[in-house]
Amino acid sequence: MTEKPILRGLRTGLVFGLIMVFLFLIGFTDTGANLVAKMLGNPTPTNQHPSVTYYAIFMALYATWCGSAAANRVAAGTSLINRLGAGTVGGFTAGAICSLTGYIFGTLNQQGIDPRAYLVALSPQTIQLFLFNAESVASGALTLVGVMTAGGLLGAVLAVAWKAWVGKRLIGLKQDTGHLYQNVLLQQWKDKALVRYALLALLAAALLILPRAWGSYWNYVLGTVGIYIVLGLGLNIITGLAGQLVIGYVAFFGLGAYTFALLSAPEPHQISMNFWIALVLAVVVAAVFGFLLGLPILNLRGDYLAIVTMGFGEIVRILLKSDLLTSFTGGPKGVRDIGGPTLFGRPFNSDVDFMYLIIIAVLVIAFLANRLQRSRVGRAWEAVREDETVARATGINAFRSKILALTISAAIAGLAGVLFASRNQFTGPEDHSLLVSINVICLVIVGGIGSIPGIILGAFALKGLPEVLREVESFRMLAFGALLVLMMNIRPEGFWPASRPKLENQAEEAIAAVPAEQKV
Amino acid sequence: MEAMLSVDYIHVYYGAIHALQGIDFHLEQGEIVALIGANGAGKSTTLKTISGLLRPRTGKVTFNDVDLAKVEPQDIVRMGIVQVPEGRKIFSRMTVWENIAMGAFIRNDRAKIKTDTDALFERFPRLAERRNQLGGTLSGGEQQMLAIARGLMANPKLLLLDEPSMGLSPKMVENIFDIIQDINEQGTSILLVEQNAQMALAVSHRAYVLETGKIAIEGIADELLQDTKVVEAYLGTH
Repeated sequence: MTEKPILRGLRTGLVFGLIMVFLFLIGFTDTGANLVAKMLGNPTPTNQHPSVTYYAIFMALYATWCGSAAANRVAAGTSLINRLGAGTVGGFTAGAICSLTGYIFGTLNQQGIDPRAYLVALSPQTIQLFLFNAESVASGALTLVGVMTAGGLLGAVLAVAWKAWVGKRLIGLKQDTGHLYQNVLLQQWKDKALVRYALLALLAAALLILPRAWGSYWNYVLGTVGIYIVLGLGLNIITGLAGQLVIGYVAFFGLGAYTFALLSAPEPHQISMNFWIALVLAVVVAAVFGFLLGLPILNLRGDYLAIVTMGFGEIVRILLKSDLLTSFTGGPKGVRDIGGPTLFGRPFNSDVDFMYLIIIAVLVIAFLANRLQRSRVGRAWEAVREDETVARATGINAFRSKILALTISAAIAGLAGVLFASRNQFTGPEDHSLLVSINVICLVIVGGIGSIPGIILGAFALKGLPEVLREVESFRMLAFGALLVLMMNIRPEGFWPASRPKLENQAEEAIAAVPAEQKV
Repeated sequence: MEAMLSVDYIHVYYGAIHALQGIDFHLEQGEIVALIGANGAGKSTTLKTISGLLRPRTGKVTFNDVDLAKVEPQDIVRMGIVQVPEGRKIFSRMTVWENIAMGAFIRNDRAKIKTDTDALFERFPRLAERRNQLGGTLSGGEQQMLAIARGLMANPKLLLLDEPSMGLSPKMVENIFDIIQDINEQGTSILLVEQNAQMALAVSHRAYVLETGKIAIEGIADELLQDTKVVEAYLGTH
């Protein structure tokens, strides 16, 4: 009827097409095909190029996404034909842009020009694969347009079908407030106590059995995730609850790890202290440093605090590495042969044992964090975060609250450091670089500041996924960036935003008393 | 009888700036005392000094015969001096109810807190209606009410109000001043800092006019309202 749906499709296709061209130029199309192959249970052997079939699936999936996006962007109430048309046009446009690019690079390639001088990841094989390994460049380019147009149409069909039927009836998804989907059925289940206990029991059983079942690789990967959950929960107290941005958080992690290492390794001090005593001492040392650091700096606000703490983190790392302290800390080569835990006199240091230990640490810290958040101290932290002046006017000792938050955060980081050093049986200065701090901050933000389940989710997303998706290793920063952009668009408050705990039961009663239409 | 609050010749500096140059006044139990004056006269500085956020270089502040020189701000709140900060500072990301609950932070008497909350909601029906709304979504007048309500939850003996009428519509200003009088009638002493001198003088018992860090005029509020000099200088001629 009107041009509008077609224009929408065109525009969506343009965006998707340009993104795919970019991905092609950095050689991501190979990676995409490898990912598909892995997901379908047929991973590409190393040093081989992915097969055309998986590449075709990858491109078709991408075009499907493009088509459904285009169809969804068409104004509500337009006819079926228009929406399907928008999707098809979207797929076709994206395909045309890709195929034009492919055609240019394919021709260059045939003339013996190697684009790798400028685009290091763009090998001839990647270009050939981009054109479906076709005999001639032209036929490859045509196939590309065809596959992507078909994908676009498929996407539009799926989008229309989802809206009309599947989404509403099959799994109880309801479109809420315009753009957020809320799973109504899930909500209803969650309210049933029996279901809740059953889920808890299931989770407990899984946590008990899985570390034995899934092998040492997964214990390693998920152990790392667990350590980062502990770190995230710790940082959340000072940054999420008390609102003080601490960037040098890794310093406390490092202090915990090194204190433990020096107390339980044969080199350089020949102290082989019992695991549990060393653990407590390491946590105490980290907490004391948190307290001491807090005294002079917690009067600073915002950016200044962030920069000073960042400096502290770097100072700790550089001191650990320095020649000056080599005889005390082991210097750049770190500390080796760090002792593992014992339980009732028998060693407790297999990968399975460690997994249990980390799970217990995560549970204990999550419980502690939860209790703190709901306590009087937690309320004081939130008040300080919201407005320090007003907090003081209500009789809160803002400084003492912040010091307490930093001390607790530091202690938890110290615990994470102990687990880390003891599990790896090694720790060096580079384990405690600024990147760890940044990672922890990212996972807290991505998951949802102040939200305990959010942080657990964030740790899985940021530390777990990269391990699972080994193929995207070299694109890790790209993936991070994409994840952050995506998140800021669809869930600006994090994947699992904090729902502030109601202060007392009365608040819930009050909510129940308000008529439904007033609820926000 | 000794005054409830007595401010004796305080001198307060911001770095090299001599902000308060010997401010001297007192407040009796049960009074509303207004500090009026133009921008920069030192009204807010005086309040901040009383609540302990600033310290006088010389001179002293005593409250019920206790010298406040060494008392930390949060302990001053515990002694019963509660400040409602300027500019309707509320916790905008907490609900109305939570804001009020924060006001009772220093108290431990749970049962009493609950009855006080209920009484407060009765006094401020508009807040009761909006108790589950986020503080930041309230109108200016409602935010000011909320700030006052939160201050009251700390059970103040003396309430320090900093420019409660700022930025409010004339009707809302009247509303707020009614509330202030009402609070005073229930037994809370009030020190009121205002630029809206006309309204401030109308509700208070006594008043001090500040000018560049000094007290220029003092007297009974009703008399000041009649005083042509004050009217010309501070209230504008009608």
